[in-house]
Amino acid sequence: MNLRFVYQSILVCLILLVTSCSKSYDNNYIRNENFYKIGDQQEWASIDYDDRDWKKNITILDGQVSWARTNIEILETPERFRPYGINFHHYGEYEVYWDGVLIGRNGNPGQEATLAPSGEMWASFFIPEDLTKKGKHVLALKRSFLHFPDFAGGFSFNLDYYDNLHTYWLKYTSFMHIFAGAFLIGSLYFFFLYLGEKKNYSMLIFSIICFLFFALIIMEFVKFYVPIHYSKHHVRLEIIGFITFFLAILVPLYFTIQFQFPKHKSILLAYLAVLFFVFFRDHDAYDNTAYNMAVTMWILSTGIVSFGVYKKIKGASIVLLTLLICALINTFTFYDTGLFVGFGVIVLGMFYILAINTKEQRLAYENSLVQSTRLRLELLKKNIQPHFLMNSLTSLIDWVEESPTKGILFIEALAKEFDLLNQIENESLIPITQEIELCRTHLEIMKFRKEVDYLWDEEGILTNERIPPATLHTLVENGITHCSPLDDNTIRFKLIFENNGQFKSYTFLTFAKVRHTAKVNSDGTGLKYVKARLEESYGKNWSLSSTATDQGWKNIIKIYN
Amino acid sequence: MNILIIEDESRIAKRIERMARNFFSNTLTSLTCIDTLNEALEFIKNNPLDLVLLDLNLNGENGFDLLGTAVSESFHTIIVSAHKEQAISAFEYGVLDFVAKPFNQIRLDQAFNRVILKEKTDSGNIKLLAIKKRGGIQLVPIENLLFIKGAGAYTELFLINGKKELHDKSLEKLEQLLPDMFERIHKSYLVKMTEVKEIIVKSGSKYMAELKNGELLPIGRTKYKDIKAKWL
Repeated sequence: MNLRFVYQSILVCLILLVTSCSKSYDNNYIRNENFYKIGDQQEWASIDYDDRDWKKNITILDGQVSWARTNIEILETPERFRPYGINFHHYGEYEVYWDGVLIGRNGNPGQEATLAPSGEMWASFFIPEDLTKKGKHVLALKRSFLHFPDFAGGFSFNLDYYDNLHTYWLKYTSFMHIFAGAFLIGSLYFFFLYLGEKKNYSMLIFSIICFLFFALIIMEFVKFYVPIHYSKHHVRLEIIGFITFFLAILVPLYFTIQFQFPKHKSILLAYLAVLFFVFFRDHDAYDNTAYNMAVTMWILSTGIVSFGVYKKIKGASIVLLTLLICALINTFTFYDTGLFVGFGVIVLGMFYILAINTKEQRLAYENSLVQSTRLRLELLKKNIQPHFLMNSLTSLIDWVEESPTKGILFIEALAKEFDLLNQIENESLIPITQEIELCRTHLEIMKFRKEVDYLWDEEGILTNERIPPATLHTLVENGITHCSPLDDNTIRFKLIFENNGQFKSYTFLTFAKVRHTAKVNSDGTGLKYVKARLEESYGKNWSLSSTATDQGWKNIIKIYN
Repeated sequence: MNILIIEDESRIAKRIERMARNFFSNTLTSLTCIDTLNEALEFIKNNPLDLVLLDLNLNGENGFDLLGTAVSESFHTIIVSAHKEQAISAFEYGVLDFVAKPFNQIRLDQAFNRVILKEKTDSGNIKLLAIKKRGGIQLVPIENLLFIKGAGAYTELFLINGKKELHDKSLEKLEQLLPDMFERIHKSYLVKMTEVKEIIVKSGSKYMAELKNGELLPIGRTKYKDIKAKWL
């Protein structure tokens, strides 16, 4: 319950964070479309230049210089001493003119062939205060794209107070980095957990998912503080694409493991094929491809988690909720945020499952400890429970009164069984020979009590095999309790051991008359003990069958390799 | 004396048998040993018995199923069991004695004596009377009992709710089992004294007990003195 509360609080915080980030710039200006022209004339920068013959779409060849002009209407004169600035997301190298005045330069347009690459993809320039009075203005850019041939030359920009331009992205980036840091720590933590428990692949997968997610956020926001020349920008986009690709494989894989989704190989292969298609079909449309892969991943994950909900697997409904929230966030926020926060929520969902599973494992472990103690006590009790002890003592008194010599033999048999039980009381597995000795001693005692001739037979026993203590002993007890002797006053027991490579089996036969078949069910206290012992030592890799036969009773214990 | 021993430990069954033969010697008419529950039920149904010695754990089965049937019969039941902790519930069902294993001749003789000397049980713990009904055994709580009237070998139980039930045990046997508050006020009546409002003396030295519900029961001439000394 507590866990759920924490989880829900995290969700709420995350949603608040998303909404705070998705707040856009104040729109203090109206912009027209961009118009382009190939060529290079200085007067194209001028505010009064007539650009009616300029086009909205052009194709620019290698190294050609071109200009772009945009009419902008500023709705509000800036506050004093607080200049406006303009921020570009623009490929190429360019010079920026505002109302014909050069206000900044990003690289060396037109000279790229001779000079080394300079400038960066994201650049901000401040505009002198006296040029940004309320009214109409013209932004003109002189650009060249030597390293990006056949480019249409589109670009986007934002105009705001110069300080706002910086603080906005600073806040956004820092929030997202906090987020990234959390996932880095998560990644390391689960990796260390995996190192401690190498068989737990879901831990490893989760650790990798956390790390990839951390890397994805870093790669997305690195652009705001590491200068990237436009010619290198595709490297960043490729990295983001591949990270998304791997995430889109690992997340459904993780859910498949956690929610025990059946036949997962064929479905995952089909999914991989779809994912490859999405990844390579429109590979150069980086953002779009990443987004489509995320959607593909979302669809499969939702399917798997819905299966988990249907199967009533713990935590599935909460994770399904996170997937739906993720879809909701995507419809309400702008592109990047939607993708990252959506991912983030999914990963939180995964955190939740892991936390639940860890708790379950702990409970299971504690339970197993209690169970072991209980089994030990049950073993100890076997010979001091009143039914065994008092009946033995009563018979013993009778034997002593009738024949002290026999009485002594009886006492010796009792002493031997007590001694054997003392030796094995703390063990969870004992040598088969010791177990057989225990059975034979028990039969010796019961001979004195029941005056039935109990016979013991064995076949194929390997002396180095081990078995949980008092399991066969319990089967012997059951045989004595539920069977009456044959006409020659005997009850014969036979133990057969076989190992066929796949499993070892102990077949335990009782040759006698079964008293009441219907009442001997598999949940009798005796068989419960045997089952609990087998589970303690072999987990789920065993089976036990117990049935009546024509000749008596047959128990088969199989232990799978 | 007809005796049935229900015990699945053959050595112990023989021990009980030997001791019973010792004790009852020539008064013994029959003695049978049975080691399964079903056979025992069958035997009880078809044979007249005076005493049953019952082990409560038979081949892993709960002997209380059999106990219900046994105590509803006319004979007395003595439990011989390794489970001392079951003594209280056994007495609640109305057994004459509970002999814990291991036992010796002296302890078993003590139990046998209770049968022949018609001594009361010293536990006084009986809570229920099992009566035979069509389709099974019904357990009547002792607190619902008003008085018991002897009717030959049987008895009639008169209950607080006005109902009347038949019991197979004789008045003597029930008197042995029931707690002290049940007083034999007459050769045919056993009354719960807490239900008696007053004792009325009638002409010709006739005494009657008036119950809280207004019913009048006769008090035996010879019993009056004892009752007066004990209850008034």
